[in-house]
Amino acid sequence: MKESWSMVVTYFSDVVLVFVLTFHLLLQSPLTGKALDETLSFANATGNLVYYKIVFGLLLLTAVVHGLNGVRVIALEWLHPKTMGWLLNLTVVALMAFFLSLGTYTLIVVG
Amino acid sequence: MKEARRYKSGLIPSLNPLGFNVERWSYTLHRATGVILIGYLAAHIFETFQLGAGSAAWANTMAALHSLGPFEMVGLWVVAGSALYHGANGIRLILNEMFGKLMGKPILPVYPYSPTSLGRNQRVAVWTITGTVLALWVWAGFYLLAGLGIV
Repeated sequence: MKESWSMVVTYFSDVVLVFVLTFHLLLQSPLTGKALDETLSFANATGNLVYYKIVFGLLLLTAVVHGLNGVRVIALEWLHPKTMGWLLNLTVVALMAFFLSLGTYTLIVVG
Repeated sequence: MKEARRYKSGLIPSLNPLGFNVERWSYTLHRATGVILIGYLAAHIFETFQLGAGSAAWANTMAALHSLGPFEMVGLWVVAGSALYHGANGIRLILNEMFGKLMGKPILPVYPYSPTSLGRNQRVAVWTITGTVLALWVWAGFYLLAGLGIV
């Protein structure tokens, strides 16, 4: 994938993240009428994952892709792209797969 | 000579925004908050993974987090501030880099150089973001740190 495309993915996921992360934070905020401890309870946390599983799935996907691509962009300034680029890309893709699997497993088991 | 050394000093000193304009400060803050957020994201995915193991595992996870004492809420407050800044500044960067907005029209580079990309609109955007994020961060602080007796 060209670097320009990876930046388009970064920009697009940023816009999506702003909305879904705001939604996620509002679910944990005092605007719900619940105390902080109450929002972190097992019943509330699993309830949110069950009711809004598509939103949380989208949040997981965009956060992992955007975050790890950001790490890759920073690391590319430290490592030489021609000699270390392939190793970096491989590591980032492996980490993406790992975190997406972990998060998807949680969504499936809880949901 | 001193300036030349500064610009050729390598990557770590290049992250030092002291003595540079607001754009450079926002660049450094964007990187720093991004690194904080990716660290938190990894921990948060592991944390929520415990939900799948049942209520006892979740209670243990919460107990482990509470055992951090005030660092738990202070840490969340730092993450909240990082998310606010990174998100708001990210929107500004999209407007800049993807749509070419908030930047002046290109001009011939004539000495002394005055980059049009650091014009009034850009400075207003940076300071508006900074003010809004600070206000929301203080509000988040009241919510998160209230139980600690700090605020």
